[in-house]
Amino acid sequence: MNKKFLKRDLEYILSLFLSILVSLLIGAFIMIANGRSPLLGYGALLKGAFGSKYNIATTLAKTVPLVLTGLATAISFSSGIYNIGGEGQLYLGAFAAAYVGITFTALPKGIGILLAIVAGAVVGGLYAYLPAILKVKYKIDEVITTIMLNSVAVLFTSYLVNYPFATTKGKMGGTEIIAEGYHLKRLIKLSTLNTSIFFMGFIAIIIYYLMEKTSAGYDYKMVGQNSLFARYGGINDKKQMIMAMVISGALSGMAGVFEVLGVHYRFLQNISPGYAWDGMLAALIVKNNPIGVIVMSIFLGALKTGSVSMENATSIPSELVLVIQSIIILFIAGEAGFKEKFKELNLKRKSKQKVGEKNA
Amino acid sequence: MAEKLIELRNISKRFPGVLANDNVSLDIEKGEIHAIIGENGAGKSTLMNIIYGLYEPTQGEILFKGKPTQIKSPLDAIGLGIGMVHQHFMLVPSFTVAENIVLGNEPKHKKLFIDYKKAVAITEELSETYGLKVDPHEKVESLSVGIQQRIEILKVLYKGADVLILDEPTAVLTPQETEELFEVIRKLVNDLGKTVIIITHKLQEVLAISDRVSVMRQGKMIGTLQTKDANEQILAEMMVGREVLFDELYKKESSKKEVLSVKGIKARDNRGLVALNGVSFNLKAGEILGIAGVEGNGQSELVEVLTGLREMEEGEFIVNGVEAFNKSPNEIRKLGIAHVPEDRLATGLSKDASIWENLLMGIQHEEPYAIKGVHINKKKVKERTDRLIDEFDIRTPSGDLPVGKLSGGNMQKVVIAREFSFNTPILIIAQPTRGVDVGAIEFIHSQIIEKRNKGAAILLVSAELDEIFRLSDRIITIYEGKITGEFLNGEITKQEIGLYMTGKHTEKAEGGEKVE
Amino acid sequence: MLKQVFNLTLLQHTIRTATPLILAALGGLLTEHAGMLNIGMEGMILLGAFFGVLGSFFFGSSLAGVILAGLVGLVIGLLFAVFVVDLKSDEFIVAIAINMFASGLTVFLLRSIFGVKGAFSSPDIVPLPRLKFPGLSSVPFLNAILNNHSIFVYISWILVVLIYIYLYKTPHGIWLRASGEYPEALETAGVSPKKMKYISSIACGVLCGFAGAHLSLGYLTLFSENMSANRGFIAVAAIIFGRANPIRTFAAALMFGFFDALGIRLQVMGIPSQFTQMIPYIATILALFIVTKRQIAKVKKNKERDSSAE
Repeated sequence: MNKKFLKRDLEYILSLFLSILVSLLIGAFIMIANGRSPLLGYGALLKGAFGSKYNIATTLAKTVPLVLTGLATAISFSSGIYNIGGEGQLYLGAFAAAYVGITFTALPKGIGILLAIVAGAVVGGLYAYLPAILKVKYKIDEVITTIMLNSVAVLFTSYLVNYPFATTKGKMGGTEIIAEGYHLKRLIKLSTLNTSIFFMGFIAIIIYYLMEKTSAGYDYKMVGQNSLFARYGGINDKKQMIMAMVISGALSGMAGVFEVLGVHYRFLQNISPGYAWDGMLAALIVKNNPIGVIVMSIFLGALKTGSVSMENATSIPSELVLVIQSIIILFIAGEAGFKEKFKELNLKRKSKQKVGEKNA
Repeated sequence: MAEKLIELRNISKRFPGVLANDNVSLDIEKGEIHAIIGENGAGKSTLMNIIYGLYEPTQGEILFKGKPTQIKSPLDAIGLGIGMVHQHFMLVPSFTVAENIVLGNEPKHKKLFIDYKKAVAITEELSETYGLKVDPHEKVESLSVGIQQRIEILKVLYKGADVLILDEPTAVLTPQETEELFEVIRKLVNDLGKTVIIITHKLQEVLAISDRVSVMRQGKMIGTLQTKDANEQILAEMMVGREVLFDELYKKESSKKEVLSVKGIKARDNRGLVALNGVSFNLKAGEILGIAGVEGNGQSELVEVLTGLREMEEGEFIVNGVEAFNKSPNEIRKLGIAHVPEDRLATGLSKDASIWENLLMGIQHEEPYAIKGVHINKKKVKERTDRLIDEFDIRTPSGDLPVGKLSGGNMQKVVIAREFSFNTPILIIAQPTRGVDVGAIEFIHSQIIEKRNKGAAILLVSAELDEIFRLSDRIITIYEGKITGEFLNGEITKQEIGLYMTGKHTEKAEGGEKVE
Repeated sequence: MLKQVFNLTLLQHTIRTATPLILAALGGLLTEHAGMLNIGMEGMILLGAFFGVLGSFFFGSSLAGVILAGLVGLVIGLLFAVFVVDLKSDEFIVAIAINMFASGLTVFLLRSIFGVKGAFSSPDIVPLPRLKFPGLSSVPFLNAILNNHSIFVYISWILVVLIYIYLYKTPHGIWLRASGEYPEALETAGVSPKKMKYISSIACGVLCGFAGAHLSLGYLTLFSENMSANRGFIAVAAIIFGRANPIRTFAAALMFGFFDALGIRLQVMGIPSQFTQMIPYIATILALFIVTKRQIAKVKKNKERDSSAE
């Protein structure tokens, strides 16, 4: 209610920083073990992420799909329905955009782009609707179904672009290039940063407003925390879960759309190197806080961009950042547990001290 | 004097934020039935879990047969011959009775494989020796709580327990089953030389079964008495720490317009078994209708059906002249019914959400708290939150605190503040003071009476007969999903109503007028 | 053309491709019985594959590769248990971290140790031995299908039986199941459910490590990026499909292996293989759907029976 952070939020932010710090330290040790200087390595990484206009642009370009899939995770997880199917929804959304882009070539520029975005969102949303219904109506675990559906979507789009929609120019597992009118404008020379970042900003503001400021956001949150309480209080919990899942799917779908319209100009069978997983990571780290998702996405985007420069400058393989990321996640997953253990230890120590005092 | 079997010396147990046991000392003598009583949260279960090795004490020592002993795990306790029957039965539902009884110490053949035949034989033998009938081959999930309790006791005896700790063993039993259990306990102690520690909060039972009784309050041991020197009044005072004389409640008479009626309601419980079998009654404005019954006779399902949380199979449900058959919780709330649920943490609150969020539930889409039903108006919400915190005496530093950090009594006040603030003509209130300290009980009772005096119709479900008698104008009894009697308060004694609650009224023929 | 697809080689390939699924699924069903769904098997298999190659390459022995793969699996299984059991972390988040860690670390090491990108193969990697049963060679059909497989094929079959006996016939196995279904009951019976969960998780890690070693040392001798290729998830599917019963899970893994082998053959012939590859995933969703439908029908039946009895 008041603007200042609550104590537990502050505590969490503190342990978050600690986790990231320790993970980076572990990364440094790995560099040393490889006979490389961590100072040079991280220096190159930082420079690669933010060193120039081009680098910043590249970092931001990487941020776009992370923010969208991160928000997709945040809204579904905080509503108590776990959409792990972001990757599959992203693929289908991306394909839908490409389909629109190669089919309706004569549409005026703005309308075409809008149509492609809507198509991607609808397809992504529908693909999330299926596991949502299975969950709500038949109590089938959505974590499992969405994981399974990821593979189905990736395989299905792979079929589409290798057979019925395969480009005639070379064998590459991709569609034809979408019509000129669908290309989002590039903002900085050489970088893939494009106007999708404005769309993303707009969508992020809407989702933030929805989750944090509205009655509907309240409903989602309550369903996520205690669905029986929500139902008891008059909220249609099943409907809210389905809605949250569909919005989540739509966001992931749009993440795919922007990869097609802004970056590749076609659908490729490996269009995402796991963006939805990284986005989910961003959301998990900040416990589904929408603003946190944006901050974390920039952080992860910077790691990814910077790691390439790090590799070029110091020949430390860029995959090191994956290792660092996964360690951060582990720490965050264990955060509450670590804290509890720490408190227990403290308690034991204190009581031992007391006994000591008595004996003395 | 009898031999001291277990001695607890200055035991303290601290959990993060709570001192559950504060310097507690207790002696258990060989061959006695020792009752431990106290209100919810007094620290009884914690203390017993320490004896059983589930918790390690933060401070203090345990003597077993006069020797200092460390009980670090249940295995140590079992080794000393201590067994515990938990309030929530520790039986694996998909396992058979025999498998459950030998769990942890299975008979083997060829040193490697479980000897199931022998497990069955052991079960049959135990069953025979102690007179506790069970079928070794049946799966536990399909058995009644009474039988499950027998299995628990057999399990403990199989492990060679000489000391049995029973944690609230009668909470889920019918009076008849309770009597049977007491027979078993007496047999174990008198004929077989066992020692029994029984935790309870029911004073009559303490007086009926125990040799000695120890009273706990707020984590402290208040004292131990010979049961023959105790009576209900003395024990109650020790439990709550002062004389318990509730103020007489002022009841104002007003118009008695019927606002809610149900006829022939049928519904099933979560397992698909018939829970309500043709329930009919009506509720009038300005009255409190108490529903008395042993827990598990359909009260919970009745409340859920009336608030839209459970499906009705057939019947008529009319609220203020409107048919409300199987309407959603939201629609029923709109008809003017507020609901204080029996389990506040499961149903009535979100413990991770703040107090203001919990108080907002139900009106989050309404003006002025939501501008145009969309944007939450934090200022108005805060005003209301602060007003309710003040009005309902919720002890908290701020409305931003997560509800889970409050005490049981204050949590319950949050639920009551929210539901009462809607000013609905009808209130359905279940177990309003369960797990709540005495001060809060008085406050909550006065709030309920105030609502009644203002003309609200109140349906009160409580497992505490005292509460029913104190608050109700009219009382109906429920047994196995059927209404067995209806009385005006004052017409009937607690003893008599017990017969209706257990379905035994028909055996004794007449007595109270039977309705429907 | 059908004859080209459906022949003995297909069955041979089925057995081969099913083996890592069987090994991983056996491990995963142990954690499933202990109350933990382990999606981190994907990463554990990948790590097993890499360290199998590493061990075999440096020590010049396939046994060293297998031991190293098993050890790495053990460590990761232990890690999973520490976080999930002791720190009470979300098993699912920990699993994702493990998967990410595996894909990052294997590529990182591939490049920093072997200095290659994509894949590493070398004649110095010693493959796992193949077993030949002379008695079988005279039986025409069985010889072709069953004989001359890599050693883990046979080990996995033996393990199916052993794990079945363990789970249902030994006290220890019963404790393991109790630790998942109702840990408090086990704890009060004097057996630590934590210990059982640790054991299951470590066993799962080791078996996934072996699954990985079979992938990289069994028939091919190479490691390539993302070599596990969703096998961990298919193993999860097999567990769910087989309702965590070792025999049924084995059957499910064989079935999924069959479709995998079929897909590969179709692909070689230029026929889209994507649909056969989808089968494990779709089958799992359908299986879940059918199981719950059946349960709902059962409850309804009970209701009707009750009603008629009244």
